[in-house]
Amino acid sequence: MAYHTNVYLLLFLPAALITYQIVPQKMRWKVLLGYSYLFFYLASGKLVIYLAGTTLLTYYASVWMAWLKMQCRQELSGAEKGNKAEIKNRYQKEERGVLLGGILILLAVLAYLKYCNFFIQNINDLLEKSGMQPFLELKVLLLPIGISFYTLQAIGYMADVYWDKIPAERHLGKLALFLGFFPQIMEGPICSYSNTADALWKCEPVKGENLSAGCTRILWGLFKKMVVADRLYVVVCEVFGHYEKYSGAIVAAAAVFYTIQLYMEFSGCMDIVIGSGRMFGICLPENFRQPFASESAAEFWRRWHMTLGVWFKAYVFYPVSVSRIVKRWNQYGRKHLGKYAAKLGTSALALFPVWLCNGIWHGARWSYLFFGMYYFVILMAGIAVEPVRKKLIEMLRINDRALYFRIIRILKTWIIIFTGELFFRAEGLQEGRQMFYSIFQHFDLQKLWDGTLLTMGLDCADYYAVLAGCAVAAIVGMVKEGNLLGEDGLQKLCLPVRWIVYYGLIFAVLILGAYGIGYQQVDMIYAGF
Amino acid sequence: MDTLMKILREIDDGIDYEKEKFLIDAHILDSFGVIALVSEIEDTFGIRIEASEMVPENFNSAEAIWKMIRRLQENL
Repeated sequence: MAYHTNVYLLLFLPAALITYQIVPQKMRWKVLLGYSYLFFYLASGKLVIYLAGTTLLTYYASVWMAWLKMQCRQELSGAEKGNKAEIKNRYQKEERGVLLGGILILLAVLAYLKYCNFFIQNINDLLEKSGMQPFLELKVLLLPIGISFYTLQAIGYMADVYWDKIPAERHLGKLALFLGFFPQIMEGPICSYSNTADALWKCEPVKGENLSAGCTRILWGLFKKMVVADRLYVVVCEVFGHYEKYSGAIVAAAAVFYTIQLYMEFSGCMDIVIGSGRMFGICLPENFRQPFASESAAEFWRRWHMTLGVWFKAYVFYPVSVSRIVKRWNQYGRKHLGKYAAKLGTSALALFPVWLCNGIWHGARWSYLFFGMYYFVILMAGIAVEPVRKKLIEMLRINDRALYFRIIRILKTWIIIFTGELFFRAEGLQEGRQMFYSIFQHFDLQKLWDGTLLTMGLDCADYYAVLAGCAVAAIVGMVKEGNLLGEDGLQKLCLPVRWIVYYGLIFAVLILGAYGIGYQQVDMIYAGF
Repeated sequence: MDTLMKILREIDDGIDYEKEKFLIDAHILDSFGVIALVSEIEDTFGIRIEASEMVPENFNSAEAIWKMIRRLQENL
């Protein structure tokens, strides 16, 4: 049951809201939890056991760490000053053991379910290449929905308890709700316990203003998915599925179309998720902030899938950055090689695991790994040329805040993004490489308007609908980027304008949404991760 | 505090550390600047900065950094 389906929007969500509202307040968390587990069961059947297992493991590991912390405090209070460091170290070691044990079990389950067949396939390929008979059989493994998302949330929660950022949760139901809350279980956003758990637990009554804001947000998400993403899906499937037939401008256009499709779909899904949460009075974190306004690849990743970026920064980048090996390198580098070389080395050491994990997290495919490494190289190149770039700007007296210069930087970032997404979407790494090279063969812009695009399942009216949808999304993006409506958003507009917007969205989804012959209901891309 | 200001200026002398209150939130000091700062602070003040301290609130201004240093020194 995906978030954009009628079953979810017209049955599941209203039923959850009505039940939530009619039961007494202290029972509401049970309603949310019950519906969350029902949602998971409807999507993944008995695999719901994985979510329950993760919740139990996370709960007991964090309670164990809290118990060790308490023991440590008690022992410290009666200890002599000289012994305090030894006691602290001893308990810290034990806590670290519990944390690492918990993380390793969660990652082992994720790795087994998600990457086992990838390893088997690659070992078999290697054996075959070296003339031996492959003997490993592929396993039939079913992946529970959202495992990559709730596993990260669970790891983040345990690490926060270990670091004393939050106390361990003693109520199993509250933790279960944080890990399994149905609007965000399938595609995120990846929430931190300190920002979300209390709002979930508060169980405020359903309010008119939240219902209205939630509905509008859901409609906006449906608009992006059904008017733009589901249409572009048709062309993207055709070109990426039969890439040998195409080259030049068509392949380049397909990369652009896929990037737009992915953005409209993933951000549209987030709109539905955030809107659903809002109906219950829960503010889930934003996952996108006008990513196509980014002036560099680094900025793009601060605006695209933000909660994943924040997670990697907090739980991979910083722990690696303050590890002994990176600190030692930094000291050595600054002393003996200079600031520039030290920064380059430190950046490489800290960024490599982040982008390796980012690539692997998306799935068991070489093209995902390449995608991670692609951004690693791009970001490293950005850091490497930064001093030269600054010097050039100074020498040529360029105003780097001037509109023309910003537009050039934005366009450069777009090329980086489109190229990355081409490899991300391609059927495999080899196919991605072939598609990339084919862009430079027979590059003829005329192909974009000589009718070729009309042979791929979409007609002129479809392209106009896509263009109109993109134009509306771009205008909304500009309004948000310029903060023109402030915190209140649509509420700042006068009543008639607001209603025009509401009806506009409803009719756009009903009339322009991709339905009927030639279209199929398209699954959410990120639900597969 | 003077020692800290010296370290900060060595890392990036183009930033007005006396005025800036959102070094991290406004992306004035990047992550790599923070890493360089951490190892300098550890060496100079004899403290150990763990991953748990790597939050914007501890690095958003010179005062916040100084406050964190004092707190970690007291916990030694």
